[in-house]
Amino acid sequence: MLKELYLIPVAVYIFSYLPLLFQKKKMYKVFISLIYAGFALQTLIFFIFLGIKGFTVPVHIDRFVFFNAWILMFIVVLFGLFYKVEYILLYITPLVALNLLIGFFVPHVHIKLVMLNADKTILLTHIVLILIGDSLFALAFIVSLIYIFQERKIKNKKNLKLFDKKDIQLQEVLHSGGGYNLELLDNINYQCLKIGFPFITLGIVMGIYLSGSLFGTFMVVKPIEIMSLITWLIYAVLLHERMAKGLRGKRAAVFSVAGFLLILFSLSFSFYLFPAFHGLK
Amino acid sequence: MDILIIGLNHKSAEIGNRETVSKKLLTIELRQDFTNKLLDMKDENGRPFIKEVVVLTTCNRSEFIMHLSSQASYGKGGHIIKSLIAKHFFGDAAGENIFYMHLNEDAVRHLFSVASSLDSMIIGEPQILGQMKEAYNEACKFKTSGRFLNKLFHKAFNCAKTVRTETGIATSPVSVSYAAVELSKKVFNSLDEKKVLLLGAGEMGKLTVKHFIKYGVRNIYIANRTKENALRFIEESFSSTEKEYLNVIDFSEYYKLLPQSDIVLCSTGSEDYVLKYVDIIPVIKIRKQRPLFLIDISMPRNIDPEINKIPNVYLFDIDDIGKMIEDNIEIRKQEADAAKEFVETAVKEFMNWKESLNVVPVIISLRNKVKDILEIELSKYIGDKKEKDLIINSLTNKILHEPTMLIKKASANSEGISSIETIKALFNLDSEDLTDTDKGKENENVSKYIKLIK
Repeated sequence: MLKELYLIPVAVYIFSYLPLLFQKKKMYKVFISLIYAGFALQTLIFFIFLGIKGFTVPVHIDRFVFFNAWILMFIVVLFGLFYKVEYILLYITPLVALNLLIGFFVPHVHIKLVMLNADKTILLTHIVLILIGDSLFALAFIVSLIYIFQERKIKNKKNLKLFDKKDIQLQEVLHSGGGYNLELLDNINYQCLKIGFPFITLGIVMGIYLSGSLFGTFMVVKPIEIMSLITWLIYAVLLHERMAKGLRGKRAAVFSVAGFLLILFSLSFSFYLFPAFHGLK
Repeated sequence: MDILIIGLNHKSAEIGNRETVSKKLLTIELRQDFTNKLLDMKDENGRPFIKEVVVLTTCNRSEFIMHLSSQASYGKGGHIIKSLIAKHFFGDAAGENIFYMHLNEDAVRHLFSVASSLDSMIIGEPQILGQMKEAYNEACKFKTSGRFLNKLFHKAFNCAKTVRTETGIATSPVSVSYAAVELSKKVFNSLDEKKVLLLGAGEMGKLTVKHFIKYGVRNIYIANRTKENALRFIEESFSSTEKEYLNVIDFSEYYKLLPQSDIVLCSTGSEDYVLKYVDIIPVIKIRKQRPLFLIDISMPRNIDPEINKIPNVYLFDIDDIGKMIEDNIEIRKQEADAAKEFVETAVKEFMNWKESLNVVPVIISLRNKVKDILEIELSKYIGDKKEKDLIINSLTNKILHEPTMLIKKASANSEGISSIETIKALFNLDSEDLTDTDKGKENENVSKYIKLIK
């Protein structure tokens, strides 16, 4: 039982928010450092699992959730460093911690796959691709929510504070710093979509292949396939509108939010209502 | 000899009311028409109420700084003038409540505070002093400002200079122009590649453009109704390095440039909207929804406020910016407290000078009295008029030096009134007829007095 290990990064993540209570700008740096420390521990645990089990299909539901949390954090850390928007960690970390807690509390159930050994590599690729794509869309979702709130503030001109450069406060870093500008948020949203879409597309294609293989036919359309295709279609339309017609801003953000909510719905739909469609027993 | 200020500003009136007044004072002709109307005001005996007027109009305030004649007492004359102003701008006297009124010491304090930028929407902003100088120069040009307001304005400029140099009120970067740049950074990630279009060539536009250059903008287009003015504006207002980033275009062509512009700064003197809702709809389509940031720092507003409803278009007017920097103003208030002490000192000095003017008739009367006596007595012994006048002047100065100094000192404080009354009784002086003499003669007397003091 290695599930207790999940609680270590969770504890670090929760503890990292405490310095912010001091309302000092220096404490923000402590917060970021602690989050990185939490992510380092999460990565260490990930490699411990790899060392024990190797790179195989996660057969325990808690490992699956842990893997999901790690990929999400990894992507957010990468984007945060690249776009200098580390403040996003402030919003994503609770989601990651929640994921880890779910991983800890769910029963250590062994997922039985009704699948040929030959398909297991494809299944592993399907999982990795879908998780990377979904994590990118999760980031786009968070960034879109920030965009919508920020845009609303600018449009309504309410709670829009200008800070003196000589005395940057913690509040600025947390709520209205440079990284909160609409252009950057929209750009991150677009990049998440551009990178995430091919991952999701390939993942869905592999999913349809696996589904066909599982049921012995490609001719019967399953509810999970319909759900996945609707989600894919939303992102395809969004990508097309962005690339061809220059859709951006609030509408694009609303699209991203809707798309991600549909992903959450389709995942719940497929795992909890129709586990058989995912080859689970 | 009262000083009266009637006006409205961002604290006392809504933007719509300020706009109404501003529109009727937009051009020099409109301002002069109204100034003449004020100067033509007379009491029942046909004597003028107002001697001198300066009209100050900026994006946040419109004020009439007046030197009243002795016929216009505050209680009566001030309110009559206020009613006339309200009627002129709002059609009836009901608009009176929108205007504030300051008299004498309060008026001087108010004017000095305005010049020192203590009464501005953004405390410490430098534009107001330039705008006050322009208003004063205009009054001088049309000779609506005389010796009294000249002194008042020069004192106000000196006070503003002292406040700027002796306090930290102007060191903090907060201003409308700074706020405009900061706001644009909430929309755009980097300003380096952005194009700025400036409509109009005013003081505020100049400062904002300078700020944009400082923050990395390298493509700035300026469109003014008179292209020559725009060229002169660039020549006079920007350094050679800054000029490299500036391009002047015909005003008729600004619309073609809108789709390429990311930031539009509007600061024209137009009465109507320069940018309308219907103009921006096609522009944003051509821009493929790329954000467009509009700043309207003109009064009356030049950009239709409805434009802010268009997706990906963000419009801020002068009031929006003002509200946003209120917090920073709080920080500046500490510096303003120190500045108020300088203002108080300047007010006291000016009021002393003003009070001293009240004794001019007494001094002149006393001098005339002494001169008359000397004239009569010396005429018995000296025939040469030139020689006689020389002796009279010399003796008058010598005899009256001490009493004049005493009167001057007495005028500086209220207790001195009894000393002046004693002098008047001693020499049987009647200065009443000197106070209400015609304007030309009085000016002559004041002129003599100023020379005397010097």
